[in-house]
Amino acid sequence: MATRIECIFFSEFHPTLGPKITYQVPEEYISRELFDTVQVYIITKPELQNKLITVTAMDKKLIGCPVCIEHKKYSRNALLFNLGFVCDAHTNTCALEPIVKKLSGYLTTLELESGFISNEESKQKLLPIMSTLLEDLNATGACTLPIAVYKLQPTSHLTGSGCCSSLTIQGHICNTRNDSNTIHLKLIQLRRDPPIVQEYDVPVFAECKDLYIKSQWDLTTQQILPYIDGFRHIQKISAEADVELNLVRIAVQNLLYYGVVTLVSIFQYSNVYCTTPKVQSLIDDKSIQEECLGYVTKQGQKRASLRDVFQLYCGLSPGTTMRDLCSRYSQQLQRVDERRLIQFGLMKCLIRRLQKYPVKVARDERSRLPRLYTGSHSYDEICCKTGISYQELDERLENDPNIVICWK
Amino acid sequence: MLNPLVGSPDDSRSMYRQSQNNFYKSGDKTSPISVILVSSGSRGNKLLFRYPFQRVDECPSSLSAKQRNPYALNVTGDVLEDQDGDSRFSDIILATILATKSDMCGKKFELKIDNVRFVGHPTLLQHSPIIQVSKTDPSPKREMPTMILFNVVFALRANADPSVICCMHNLSRRIAIALQHEERRCQYLTREAKLMLAVQDEITTMTETDGGPQSPFRQILPKCKLARDLKEAYDSLCTTGVMRLHINSWLEVSFCLPHKIHRIGGNYIPPEALERSLKAIRPYHALLLLESDKALLSELPLDCSPAMVRLIKTCSAVKNLQQLAQDADLALLQIFQIAAHLVYWGKAIIIYPLCENNVYMLSPHANISLYSPLAEQFAQQFSGHDLPSMLAKFSLPVSLAEFRNPLEAPAQEAQLIQMVVWMLQHRLLIQLHTYVCLLVPPSEDEPGLRDEELPLAARVGGRSLSTPSALSFGSPTSSDDMTLTSPSIENSSAELVPGGDSPLNKRMTETQLTSLSEHERQVILNIPAAQNPEDLRMFARLLHYFRGHHHLEEIMYNENMRRSQLKTLFDKFRSVLVVTNHEDPIISIFQSPMD
Repeated sequence: MATRIECIFFSEFHPTLGPKITYQVPEEYISRELFDTVQVYIITKPELQNKLITVTAMDKKLIGCPVCIEHKKYSRNALLFNLGFVCDAHTNTCALEPIVKKLSGYLTTLELESGFISNEESKQKLLPIMSTLLEDLNATGACTLPIAVYKLQPTSHLTGSGCCSSLTIQGHICNTRNDSNTIHLKLIQLRRDPPIVQEYDVPVFAECKDLYIKSQWDLTTQQILPYIDGFRHIQKISAEADVELNLVRIAVQNLLYYGVVTLVSIFQYSNVYCTTPKVQSLIDDKSIQEECLGYVTKQGQKRASLRDVFQLYCGLSPGTTMRDLCSRYSQQLQRVDERRLIQFGLMKCLIRRLQKYPVKVARDERSRLPRLYTGSHSYDEICCKTGISYQELDERLENDPNIVICWK
Repeated sequence: MLNPLVGSPDDSRSMYRQSQNNFYKSGDKTSPISVILVSSGSRGNKLLFRYPFQRVDECPSSLSAKQRNPYALNVTGDVLEDQDGDSRFSDIILATILATKSDMCGKKFELKIDNVRFVGHPTLLQHSPIIQVSKTDPSPKREMPTMILFNVVFALRANADPSVICCMHNLSRRIAIALQHEERRCQYLTREAKLMLAVQDEITTMTETDGGPQSPFRQILPKCKLARDLKEAYDSLCTTGVMRLHINSWLEVSFCLPHKIHRIGGNYIPPEALERSLKAIRPYHALLLLESDKALLSELPLDCSPAMVRLIKTCSAVKNLQQLAQDADLALLQIFQIAAHLVYWGKAIIIYPLCENNVYMLSPHANISLYSPLAEQFAQQFSGHDLPSMLAKFSLPVSLAEFRNPLEAPAQEAQLIQMVVWMLQHRLLIQLHTYVCLLVPPSEDEPGLRDEELPLAARVGGRSLSTPSALSFGSPTSSDDMTLTSPSIENSSAELVPGGDSPLNKRMTETQLTSLSEHERQVILNIPAAQNPEDLRMFARLLHYFRGHHHLEEIMYNENMRRSQLKTLFDKFRSVLVVTNHEDPIISIFQSPMD
């Protein structure tokens, strides 16, 4: 959702007039009434300074960060100002907060270094800066502002009057313009926290992997990227890419946060899946249809038909393994790659995997409490953690009268 | 960390229980940080009460000392933050920012400062005309009210969900309405405010003489009913999410926070999803109470509606809402409303009525751990059975009929039903329904068309099937028939069709088949079963259900048909139909939160 800034304002405490809006872009956006209502949150008491304050009033949301710089040179011994944004009351403004904070920091620095704000002349530069900000942030969500600063410096060319620091405007000497300070601002949308990545999860690219420029990612991610193929699980990637397990988990979690990958489960022909209500979207939604048929068709074959694919998905049910499906629907599978079929189904939540959970229900008084057979650990997890194979685990547990298996 | 190897199983279970209790008390995004009452009047802005009390070691005087040093970094923000990310503000600043100007009154008030969000509903107090006091009378009989407006504010974590913020605002508004009413009636708020300010003044003078700051709010609690009410509100919001306050021991303000009530595992059901579900319930659904009816009745206030009492007494897991309406002698609409109300308050959920053909399976979100508190509860309720073994029986979808053992005593069967009800109440099971979709095999000689052709589901759009219809009033012989006995409200497609091969029927069948493409019609008509006009007519009549959104039971209910009839039809036309089983998305929300 785009965060649209309706207005940027610069407010300060005038020594005689009190709190007022010095500049606002576009003009006259904030009414007198609105400012009166909210001024206590814009030019604030000392306790609230340097805090990000967002107040909602009269259908508008104002975000600002009040600054107070105390110094004897200011009338009233302090300079109070606040550069803020105004949005519609229903906008989600979380993405703007870091920008407002950054701007208040920059203005504070500029003021401390060169009196940017207290000097009436330089203060006027704020107006074009604010216009640029408003335009760029609304258009692209990013803005780069070079701010030229005139710094007071003592010159050795005294013009006989004996005064020390003066900014004279003569030829090549005086203009002691130092390097522009450039401010870089960007709207960053917050995303939901990603889930924890387990060693038995399998990452798969949500979109074509060529879309991503490898060099933009950190070194760890770059090292594991070639091993992400939608079939290798985290433990395997860690072993093959020679990267420590927890690092792989964190890197994949990062990719998950940005929506580059999604997680599916390990593929085996003994897996059992079942449909979710979302499977009907394959029928209702043409775009998912297209995507699916493109994804699951075997390489070099004519496009699979919707009916075949839908029948395959609907053929997945509790009690049916992949092996069973393949033998039952061999005709439908002529043009369909079953591994990619499952991948797509899991990615789009058309199907879900049924995992096996062993629970030890009866035990002798003397034996230890079950550690892994508690109903909280699936076969996938147990196999990964202990290193035994699925078949071996199955053999061990199926014949144990004290253990029941739950599928969910 | 909890070590399950220590001690006996009882120990480990109680340790897990403890961690669950802690979860409720520790900071989470749905609990408020504090509750604050401020007022504004002729004596300026005052903070009347706040709870939890401000920490004693932070007095405002230390704050100002830090700020006067111009070279020190301004780290006052860090000093005040505790681990929960809550900055404690001083009383004075809260009074300034929360007691708003009068033009902000009567609307939602929302203010965010760093990582704390304040939400409230500032309310203007309108004063009744003052009794004229003669100028010579030194002591007026009634005090001049000095309060102009007040605000009950909840401080939340800034990253709280918008729906949580909405709910808190709602609560603030309700308390404000009650207070405004009591103020108008007997100046309740003014009196309480006076008490609170008097205690605050007392404590401040004591502090100055004794030294060592104390919290005045602690002393206010025993003296002020309003303070105790606000504390109770805060405590309830942090734990159960349900509260019933009695403002001035007179006006009841009841409130529930859906995010606390409708929790499954670590997730909650968002209120919007809940509401969407409730709007979609149908007369063939049933209401399942989550507590025994006696327990529920005892919780209701004395002046509750008799309709609700009747509903609670007559409702049962095997009765659908339509039957409930008949038995409780209430209109169906009223039943819907009361049912929705009970669901919202977390006292009931919507299920499909229990019958032997229902197919159940373990819910993907069920907690099947050996050490879960549910396992313990189950063992207590049904001695001799343990939950994991019972749950294992539902690993594969199983219908209740399969449990029926003619050699077992009927008491066993009754217990089984009870166990299934218990598992449904605790969100352990989901019910699977059969959904059917029409997908005709593509023609071989027209490959081009295949891609452009939209399946039937996408073409037959928007036909409303919200009205039940059934004509027969047959007596229930098998549990299946229970879903069929429903008086008709409106006739939809199940019109009284004359039998035989009349031209009327033929024409109707033809019209119903026109929504199909030419190719589809050809394929269907070529099926051997289509040669039988009865079957073809039935197929055509039910065509609009075959888009994967109506399950078998719904078709049975709407069209007054038996399960066996439908199953036979599906079998006959299986070459063009694709059948799958999954949970009903409308009511599955009660077993699994939305992702």
